[in-house]
Amino acid sequence: MQRRDFLKASVAASAVALSTSAFAGITTQPIDSRKPSKIAFPEKKPLITYSDRPPLLESPRETFSRSITPNDEFFVRWHMPDIPTYIDTEAYRISINGLVEKELSISLKELKNDFEQVEVTSVLQCGGNSRSAFKPIAGGIQWGSGAMGCAKWKGVRLSDILNRAGIKKDAQWIGFNGSEKAIYYETPNFVREMKLDELDDHVIVAYEMNGEDLPYLNGFPVRLIIPGHYSDSWVKMLSNITVTKEYQSLFFMDIAYRVPDNATESETPEKRFKTTKPIAIMNVKSVIGYPTNETVVYHNSHVVVRGVAWDDGHGIKEVLVSIDGGKTWNTSILEKDVDRYAFRGFRFSFKPTTYGKVTIMAKAINRLGEEQPLAENVLWNHGGYKYNGIDTVTIEVV
Amino acid sequence: MKKIIILAIVAVSALFAQVNEAVEVPYISYEIKMGKGFETVDANCLMCHSFGYIINQGPQSKDFWYKKTIKMIEHFKAPITKEDTVIITDYLFQHYGNGKLK
Repeated sequence: MQRRDFLKASVAASAVALSTSAFAGITTQPIDSRKPSKIAFPEKKPLITYSDRPPLLESPRETFSRSITPNDEFFVRWHMPDIPTYIDTEAYRISINGLVEKELSISLKELKNDFEQVEVTSVLQCGGNSRSAFKPIAGGIQWGSGAMGCAKWKGVRLSDILNRAGIKKDAQWIGFNGSEKAIYYETPNFVREMKLDELDDHVIVAYEMNGEDLPYLNGFPVRLIIPGHYSDSWVKMLSNITVTKEYQSLFFMDIAYRVPDNATESETPEKRFKTTKPIAIMNVKSVIGYPTNETVVYHNSHVVVRGVAWDDGHGIKEVLVSIDGGKTWNTSILEKDVDRYAFRGFRFSFKPTTYGKVTIMAKAINRLGEEQPLAENVLWNHGGYKYNGIDTVTIEVV
Repeated sequence: MKKIIILAIVAVSALFAQVNEAVEVPYISYEIKMGKGFETVDANCLMCHSFGYIINQGPQSKDFWYKKTIKMIEHFKAPITKEDTVIITDYLFQHYGNGKLK
C-alpha cells in the first residue's frame, strides 16, 4: 500500500470508527428508505430490487397492511443465476427416489388428481429478513423487513407422497432439489435436507398460491411449504426428492443459514462462536404496514395503524401498540385467526393530539408468552439472521 | 348449465400455467463505480451474479470482501486466480468498503 493510500484509508477508518463505535454489536431499525424499482419483474408489480441475477425482490412496507400478501407483491429470493423461465406443464415430473420401495415420477396432473388436496395459510420469511438492522453490518443482502409474505398454499402433503413411494426402514433424511442452476458445472446444487422425524403433516408440495398458479419467480410449478420454518428450505421448482440414510454434507446446509449454537444464538464480531446450528423455526415478530415513515396526517384526525404479526405456529396472543415511542402500550384489535402459521392482522386506531413527529411501535406476544425485544436488544450474529426487534414508524402530524 | 361450463373451464385451465410461455427476467443496470480492477470484477464476478448482489451487501471490511471472494472460489467453484482475488478485494474495499481492514 502506498503512503498516500494508507493515509486515505486511515482517515476513512477513523471516520467510520467515530460514527459506529457507540453502536458496535448493537442493532437498530432495519433500513426502510428504499423504493420499488421502476422496472417490474414477470408477474410482479415493481418491487424493491436488489439483484436481477439471481432475482432478489423485496415487498415495500405498505404490503403488510394486509394479512394475505398478493402474489404480485410477494418477495423473491433465488440462489443461482440460471433459473428456468419456461416450464412444460405436461412434461414436468417430480422424482421420488433413494431409500423407497417404489420410485415415483409424479406429473402435475397426478399431483392434482391422485392425492388428497390440502391447504395451509403460512408465512414465508427469509432468515435474513431485516438483516440491515444489524450493526456492524452482517454479511448478506441488506434486506429491510419485506423479505417475507403470507399466502394460502394448496397442494399435497409430502408425507402422502412419501407413503405412496414407501419409505424403507433405514431412511433418515430427505433431500430436496430445485431446478435452479449455477453457471459452473462444479458449483454445488441448491439442495436442502430435512430430517425424516421432523416431517409433519403441515409440510406440503404446493402448486397453488392464493388460488392461482405460483408465479414463476415464487417457484412455479411446485414448491415445498414448511410452515413455521424460515424459507431457506422451501425449495422452489421442486424437481427431485431423495430419501437417504446418511446426511449428505452440502454447502447450503453446512455453511449457509446458520446461527451460533448457544442459548441466545448470538456472538460478537470480535469473538465469533465456534459452533453453529440451522436457523430453523421463526421467532415472534410483527411489522407495521401503515402508516409508514413518510406518512403525514392531520392533527386530531383518525389514524388506523395496521400490521401483521406471526411466530412459528404457536400463534399470536396479542399485539401491543405504542404511540408515544414506547412509554405506554395499548392493546390492538386482532383479526380472525385464519391459521396458526399465518400472518395475524392487527389494527389500532387513535387521534394524534400533538403536532410534529409521533413514533408508533408494535410489539407482538405469542401464546407461549414470548415477546419481541426492542431493536437495540436484539443480539448480533454474523449472518444477520432472525432479527425480530419491535418495529417503529415515525409519522408527522400537521 | 352455465355454471357447469364455468367449472369445466376452471378444471382444465388448472393444468396450464398462468403465463403460458417463457418469462423474461429484466436486466437491471446498477450504478457501478469505475476504477482500477473493475475489469477483473467484470470478468470474474459478473459471470455468475449481478452487480446488485455485490453492492447490496452493504459497505464492508477488507477482510469481509476477501473472504467473500474466497467463498466464491471454495464453495461455488469460481475459477478466480490468486492475482485476481487480490485485485477484486482491493476494488471492492476501495469502492464498497467501510474503511476497516477487519
